Amino acid sequence: MELIDGYPAAMRESIALVEQTRPTRLGRTFPAMTPEQRRELLLGHHPDYKDGAKRPLLFGPNKGMLLNHELADLFEARPLVSASLDLNDVDSDVDLLIIGGGGAGTVAAIWAVQAGLDPSRVLIATKLRHGDSNSTMAQGGIQSADRPHDSPAQHFLDAMGGGHFTNRPELVEALVSDAPLIIHWHEQLGVMYDKDEQGNFVMHPGGGTSRNRMHSARDYTGLEIMRVLRDEARNLHIPVVEFSPAIELLCDERGHVAGAVLVNLETKRYHIVRAKATIVTTGGLGRLHMQQYPTTNHYGATADGLILAYRAGAELVDLDAIQYHPTGAAFPAQMAGLLITEKVRGMGAQPVNCKGEQFVYPLEPRDVEASAFIRECSLGLGIPTPHGIQGVWLDAPMVDIIHGPGTIRSALPAMFRMYTRFGIDMTRDPILVFPTLHYQNGGIITNPDGATTVPGLYAAGEVMGGVHGKNRLMGNSLLDFNVFGRRAGIAAANYVREQAQPTRLSLEHVATYERHMRDAGIKTTRTAPRILPDYRGKEALERYLDIPL
Amino acid sequence: MQVAYYPGCTIKVSAQHHERAALAVLRALNIELCELPEWNCCGVLHSLTDDNLIRHMAPIRMFARLEEQGAHEMTTLCDMCFNTLAQANTWAKERPERIRAINSTSGGELDYDGRAQILHLLQLLRDRVGLAAIKARVRRPLRGLTIYPYYGCKLLRPSEVAMDDPETPRVLHDLMLALGATVAEGPLQTQCCGSYHVVDREQLVTNRVAATTDEARERGAEALVLSCPLCHYNFDSFQGSNHAALPIFYYTQLMGIAFGLEPEELGLDAHRVALLPVLLEHELVPEGVQVN
Amino acid sequence: MSEQTGMITMQLMGKNYQVPTGLTIMAAIEYAGYKLVRGAGCRGGFCGACPTLYRRSDNHRIFTALACQTLVEDGMCLVQMPFVPVVSRRYDLHQIAAKPNTLLQHFPEIAGCVACNTCTRACPQGLQVMDYVQASLRGDIERAAMLSFDCIACGICSSRCPADIKHYAVGLLARRLYGKYVTPDSPQLAARVAELQTGNLIADLNALMALSQEELRARYEQRTFETSEENKEPFSAIQHYNSPMDPVDYKDEIEV
Repeated sequence: MELIDGYPAAMRESIALVEQTRPTRLGRTFPAMTPEQRRELLLGHHPDYKDGAKRPLLFGPNKGMLLNHELADLFEARPLVSASLDLNDVDSDVDLLIIGGGGAGTVAAIWAVQAGLDPSRVLIATKLRHGDSNSTMAQGGIQSADRPHDSPAQHFLDAMGGGHFTNRPELVEALVSDAPLIIHWHEQLGVMYDKDEQGNFVMHPGGGTSRNRMHSARDYTGLEIMRVLRDEARNLHIPVVEFSPAIELLCDERGHVAGAVLVNLETKRYHIVRAKATIVTTGGLGRLHMQQYPTTNHYGATADGLILAYRAGAELVDLDAIQYHPTGAAFPAQMAGLLITEKVRGMGAQPVNCKGEQFVYPLEPRDVEASAFIRECSLGLGIPTPHGIQGVWLDAPMVDIIHGPGTIRSALPAMFRMYTRFGIDMTRDPILVFPTLHYQNGGIITNPDGATTVPGLYAAGEVMGGVHGKNRLMGNSLLDFNVFGRRAGIAAANYVREQAQPTRLSLEHVATYERHMRDAGIKTTRTAPRILPDYRGKEALERYLDIPL
Repeated sequence: MQVAYYPGCTIKVSAQHHERAALAVLRALNIELCELPEWNCCGVLHSLTDDNLIRHMAPIRMFARLEEQGAHEMTTLCDMCFNTLAQANTWAKERPERIRAINSTSGGELDYDGRAQILHLLQLLRDRVGLAAIKARVRRPLRGLTIYPYYGCKLLRPSEVAMDDPETPRVLHDLMLALGATVAEGPLQTQCCGSYHVVDREQLVTNRVAATTDEARERGAEALVLSCPLCHYNFDSFQGSNHAALPIFYYTQLMGIAFGLEPEELGLDAHRVALLPVLLEHELVPEGVQVN
Repeated sequence: MSEQTGMITMQLMGKNYQVPTGLTIMAAIEYAGYKLVRGAGCRGGFCGACPTLYRRSDNHRIFTALACQTLVEDGMCLVQMPFVPVVSRRYDLHQIAAKPNTLLQHFPEIAGCVACNTCTRACPQGLQVMDYVQASLRGDIERAAMLSFDCIACGICSSRCPADIKHYAVGLLARRLYGKYVTPDSPQLAARVAELQTGNLIADLNALMALSQEELRARYEQRTFETSEENKEPFSAIQHYNSPMDPVDYKDEIEV
């Protein structure tokens, strides 16, 4: 296929129209929608409301909750180990086990140690490497109401409205009132936020926010926070065991969570961890590819923590609502689904259709914005790609026109670098986007201190639910894992002090779960957790032999 | 009799017959050669070469970077940098194939054409600005102040890179005269200060510093002027306590004083041996000046 | 294997595989039938889990890449590095100061840099790695922080360095020192943190929490928006991103 500066000729024709309309669009932004218009758009075009994409959960505390089939399949699946697994030989005996080495897990570990736990009595177990997580991939920023004309109350309103008032208010209260403390903590840890010479943060707007309160570190905000947190945890001598996901929680005779079974992904040997408290920080589920959507998520984002916690009896919330980020890359094919940070729109790039026309306010809440893109494509106003999907333009060069030449390169280096690698210069040409599976809005129910409905089990970060209701705003996820990671770490440390080491470890809850599944009439050979998605070529798998080696 | 035996690559590849003969002869003499179980090339390519390219990457890279900017001349304040850059450049320019070899070792990253050169700031002042222009800029001549110029090694040795006559340098002498000072001189002006021996042979440095400062004092100097930061460190730190220590100036500081610049701009506070007393004595800085 | 159109041959750890053109190295490895455990992370160029070394048939040099960000080429001979060990001394950031010799004290091996620039050539992010090591050596913490900012710690630089420097650990400490000690703390944030302790802000929050959902919706609809005109200063990349340098193809400026 012949490409002209990265784009095929057919797409170039549309780009010419985008360039034609650009001068008249500058300074003229499409108006925001009314609540009624938003509702109608969501019901008509958001993937969450698509007929036939979901089925109800048939058993357990959340019986009746509608789930995408891909997620429901994992709840209706058999465990990877049988309930009769020998648990007598404990490999690690700790006070606190943290399952998941992303942002939430690392923050929890640091604060558990700050709250007095001996670092050697804490263990972070993680599926891939320490820090491999959606946290690292978050680009745009972190919200905190710091400035005089902003307030936690204003932040509260924005978050509640963005979540369509389905959020749990006590969690949102914790989120917004801790936010300045978190940013202050980051300052002390040496996180390199974008600041002016006086130390004031450079603030950007985000979709659905009424104040500019997005703190960023170029467009590597999550990476910058994560690498500092990881370094801090390392310097505090907190042990981390990598490539060792949890495949089942363990309970004691009272049904309290008492550790987990890990598996070494390389040797496949299992590893028993006994712990007085356990925090699940396993992140999200984008790699389940609901409704065949591509995803922005990390390789390990397969909902493991939800499955494990539900088997142990924890209640879940809002898992019917999945966040599709409006701007996933749609072209070139190699980039499909990768995140184009909302900051690009925050800095002035407008979404436009194949004729170069604006059709939506650039900073609607994410679900609304995504639905508008999907509708535009279904009306035939999208731009088709050679690999079969459609997208709409995001007029990136406007950023440099509005803020001055060089802005894209210095403020959005990750985006610029990525497009450059694939032959596209986003300072000159618009980029093609389409919604991509981005975030698990719901998750495990917790109180503001991260405690789930099961004693001994805490949750924080993307795996927990309630704080964002049915739709999260940009900049509240980096905040969420810091706020609730910290709270869960401290609460778990305090809980640990009052607990004796569990005496008997058991997997009876797994046997019970399997019984409930059978009682609900589910017969399956599927297993869960998924651990990693499978992207092997079908040509290779056609000749795959499962032989012992 | 047994003897340990190092064969070397040539014997094993193109002179095997020599080894065969040797072994046969030695067997006849009842001598056994015991070849070392593991041995490496004697290293001839690297050991005896005088053009170990990797050593020269850093300085030559700076000339290439200069040329990338479209320029061929740059200046430096540091005597050691001047000397290193100038020596590497001289070495490279001696034989064009050296420059080609370095460019090629860099994987095409460097494209040095050998035209660049490094100037010490003293050269720039003397040859480009000119002492007359400097003299014309003086507002407060250093009248009455007797100064001993110290050159050390790096401006003058080896002679291929010397920026002045290696035996009888004049540049600091002429500069001080231009500033209106009196100059005291002596044979130890070009003696090495002991340089990096400060790390492991402090006494050597102390002896040399003492000899030079004694000479300066004997010849009436109230202060010493120099250019090299390492010499400065040694002179400023190791004068001992037998005499009142001589203040050690950089020439730039004295130029600043003579130009009538604000003392605060001249870093006069960053010295162990205080600079202000001698300047106050000759009324070269205002009464009551603070240098912090 | 038969030649198919649109297919190329790559050599993965010594074995030839035919894969479609246009795949990233990571997708090609998976297409060939490998299930990755190590060697894959975020799959979007942010985590550094997929450092890859390869050679081309027409060049004697070793090339480097992130497998998720680089297209496979015909004749490419590649291997993925699981990780590069970087063991460095622990520190307590709160106990060390940002002095010119701080980085050298923590990483004395940076004094061994011969400026060969292999690290820079190896960096899949296109960073001026050698320049940030040199900046660290001379105690320029700000420059080391700026030049290393886009580092994803894949470790390829450290695997190629003849002086065994732990580049990414040096850059990380430089950035933390810069963030903590060199940039001023935000005065507005400090004021807000103090204000939070007074409880007034929490009272406002509690008032919102006491509203019915209808009242809360009404308040949400009545929100006023901060307009860009309220930002008195026009946004300037140079002013706001700490440094005018271009992180992607930055070239040293020399005063001449």
